[in-house]
Amino acid sequence: MRQRYLRRGTQGLGIFLGLLGITGIGMTHVIFPGLHCYACPLSATVCPIGLLQNLVIAGTAPFYLLGVLAVYGIFLGRGWCGWFCPFGTVNDLFSWRKVRFHKAFSPLKFLVLLGTVFAAWRLADTWFCKLCPAASLTASLPYFAMGLAQPTRPFFIHMGTLAATLIGMTLVARFWCRYLCPMGAILALFNRVSLFGLGFNQKKCTSCGLCLRACPMGIDPRSEVNSTNCIKCGECSSACPQGALSLGFSLPGARGYAPLRFPWPRSRANRVPSGK
Amino acid sequence: MRYLLLLIFVCAFFGLALEITLEPVEPEALGSWAQVSLPLRLYPTLPRTVHYEGPELVTKLFGEIALGEAEYAILLGVSAQNEVALWVDFDGDGRLTAAEGLKGTRITGGRSWSFVLRAVPKGAEPYDYPLTVLWPEGRGYVFLVGGAPRRGFFQGHQIVLVDGDLSGVFGTKGDFLGVDVDGDGKIHANLDGHEYFALSEAFTLGEESLKVREISGDGRRIWLERTAYVPPKVPLIPGSPAPDFSFRDFLSGRELSLGNFRGKVVLLDFWATWCPPCMASLPGLKEIYEEFHAQGFEIVGVSLDESAEDLRRVLSERGISWPVAFEGKRWDNSVAALYRVYQIPTSYLLDKNGMIRYRDLEGEELRRAVAELLGESTAEAAPSEILVLPALPVKAEPILEVQVPPEAGVRRGEETPLFVRVVNTSPYLAEEVRFSVRDLPPGIEAKVPELFNIPAFGERTVRLVFSAKEVDPQVFPVSVRLSVEYHYCIAEACFQMVQEAKTALVLGAAAPGFALPWWILVLLALGVLATWFLAGRTLSIFSLALCVLALAALGFGVYLGQARQAQRIGAVLCTSCVGIEEARAPKAELSPALREAFASLPGPAHLVLFYTAWCRSCPYAKALVEEVSLANPRILVEMVDAEAQRERAEKAGVIVSGRVVVPAILVQETGKVLFGTEDLAARLLSALKEIP
Repeated sequence: MRQRYLRRGTQGLGIFLGLLGITGIGMTHVIFPGLHCYACPLSATVCPIGLLQNLVIAGTAPFYLLGVLAVYGIFLGRGWCGWFCPFGTVNDLFSWRKVRFHKAFSPLKFLVLLGTVFAAWRLADTWFCKLCPAASLTASLPYFAMGLAQPTRPFFIHMGTLAATLIGMTLVARFWCRYLCPMGAILALFNRVSLFGLGFNQKKCTSCGLCLRACPMGIDPRSEVNSTNCIKCGECSSACPQGALSLGFSLPGARGYAPLRFPWPRSRANRVPSGK
Repeated sequence: MRYLLLLIFVCAFFGLALEITLEPVEPEALGSWAQVSLPLRLYPTLPRTVHYEGPELVTKLFGEIALGEAEYAILLGVSAQNEVALWVDFDGDGRLTAAEGLKGTRITGGRSWSFVLRAVPKGAEPYDYPLTVLWPEGRGYVFLVGGAPRRGFFQGHQIVLVDGDLSGVFGTKGDFLGVDVDGDGKIHANLDGHEYFALSEAFTLGEESLKVREISGDGRRIWLERTAYVPPKVPLIPGSPAPDFSFRDFLSGRELSLGNFRGKVVLLDFWATWCPPCMASLPGLKEIYEEFHAQGFEIVGVSLDESAEDLRRVLSERGISWPVAFEGKRWDNSVAALYRVYQIPTSYLLDKNGMIRYRDLEGEELRRAVAELLGESTAEAAPSEILVLPALPVKAEPILEVQVPPEAGVRRGEETPLFVRVVNTSPYLAEEVRFSVRDLPPGIEAKVPELFNIPAFGERTVRLVFSAKEVDPQVFPVSVRLSVEYHYCIAEACFQMVQEAKTALVLGAAAPGFALPWWILVLLALGVLATWFLAGRTLSIFSLALCVLALAALGFGVYLGQARQAQRIGAVLCTSCVGIEEARAPKAELSPALREAFASLPGPAHLVLFYTAWCRSCPYAKALVEEVSLANPRILVEMVDAEAQRERAEKAGVIVSGRVVVPAILVQETGKVLFGTEDLAARLLSALKEIP
């Protein structure tokens, strides 16, 4: 329980840092470690996906961006999604139905990332931003309230994607993070190698299945610790009565049992049998 | 000794130079060429404080006339009763009093005021300078008409000196001489006249060629010196023989000369496909040609085009069969040089004996003249009636100001942008402005912007990109010339101009041959992929190694200024980029109704458009304000790069919660800012209507 309060605290910090512009600090050089529109009237940090598209359009070799993202990735991996990202927090607020993971759609987020880069490269436009529900929520709506945005087609498209994402979130917990988030896709690549991660002690596991029920991402924590879909929120380790799952900072090789996972689960073969 | 040498020098100077004393002369006695008119832009305020003491005015427009060292503020005022008056600060005390107001006279389409000011040339006596101010009604500018012509005599020939740039100082650039070379008592000193001479040009009287050695700033005296013989200019006035030339007919490829057409009435027509009045006159010409060709009428077209394709297309589309001389050299065309053509359309109508009889005839006048000349027999050589159309009141001069940074750094293997500001200083539309870069050293290429127009008094910042591939560092620094080419039309006369500006290319600050360490990113990517197949201690080692690589990439990015770049991208909000509104095509067309509405605004108004280089809808907003300023010349437009001039943008209030928002249009008079492009034309119209 203590861990969950801590997580709510860091998620609150994420929202506060996302809206740091309220202090009048202005735009800083910092890249936000989550999905948060830099066009938001109160943001003081740069959206990594928005910047990525701009750099692709401008043809800049993205040393700074990729360096920062790799540092973020090696530090927390997708832990940012579970512990910090404000849009992830919005997802959390709607995660009532922790349905089991629909594997087939899982690689979609990588396609979204590739599509975003491809559209920026070939069409020289920031197409992801025009569809991004985080931008709908934190830029389109505030500017509409301020009278800068008009109820025209781009506004309606934003409202459409926001509504669709919200509906998705209520039907499937962490819908956006599971299937569509390109920022999640980038951080997912570092999930296995990051210093923050889940450890799994198979000897202690009684296969009771409580962790499965607790996981908001709908994965099987026993076989998929630190896989691309694990956001390291720690709900499973809190739920585990045996202490078989643990969350914390360590060298990635020192977490004990860490089965080899491709970015998505390949077959049922390397799945640990559930307690049923 | 020194004084003796000086004395000898002075004696030699004045002994060899031929001094002539000049007296003021009424321009009406000389001809229309003896006065020039130049546009003067008026502003709602002046940079210096001028107090106006007079009745309440609805519109106030200030201007400044500089005559040598004297500066006179003028104020054009319109009262609530729609009475127009001009105030001139005759005594130069910075106060415009009731006594300094002039009623002026009404002329077609405007008003005119004539008065005399005191010109104060540096190091010379002050003198009286008559000036006329013409105001085309409702416009934000006036025309100054003057030139203070002064006349003297040399060996019985009249010599007239005109202050062609209206600077109040004689002997400056743009001033010219009219010399009665042929001694007929009449001076033909229109720009293409044979008795017009720029101050640096020599003229020939009899066997002797002379040129100006010195002119006193007040124009009272002029010293001439003898120079090497220069053949006199051929007269092109009605009654003189048309200079012969040969050419290759563009369509048939035949070698022809003007002499081949002796016995026929010939229209020698200088034109180009880019010149709208020329194109408009083609159907009329074709009609007359078809009517009279069988009776011995011929047209010889001289095309000042550059593109043979354009010309071929127009000739075939319009079904033109008369011979056309084409050299593809635009204004460097040899025939145009022979006929001193400085504006098009220009045409000469020659009779059967090859004598020039009429100039610049069109339509019905041309038809009548052709019929008349065809009716003459070849024996009747004497010219019957001479008709010369009045010369153009405005002199063809460059109208753009090209501001180029003195130097630009070029880096090997990279593209370097160079921003050039082009300001139109005239009330005319600069059309098809084309940039080209000359004197580029091998290995460097320049990308220039596409053709564009600049409206009256408008400005535009253009981006040139230099890319250096294989360059020899030895060639740096190297001076390159930017050539700006455009044309503009005043009523029916079109001029083409080429202006040049220089900049120096230096080798950029980054070390030459400095390759970006791509391998950092490649290693990072490969390392991340490898971690998916590793476990245990190897994974831990990889994790630490990747951390080092990531920090290296980050540090190098900061070194390259990418953190600053990220901040800049975040700090400017381009409304169409993040889908706050529609991205628009760079073309903006006003509906006729809106155009009419903009045109009927009383003005003056000053619009400032804030844009950035990467903003998607900014080209649309730019095109729109240009259209608006075209529709109504009283609306001035200024383009400001919001990124480069962030402070100005912030000051103007083009900022929403810490972000500069582009595109945004500031209406300077009311301080109102319009964001975005949605329904922009209508919003702009209502914002302009709010100006009191």
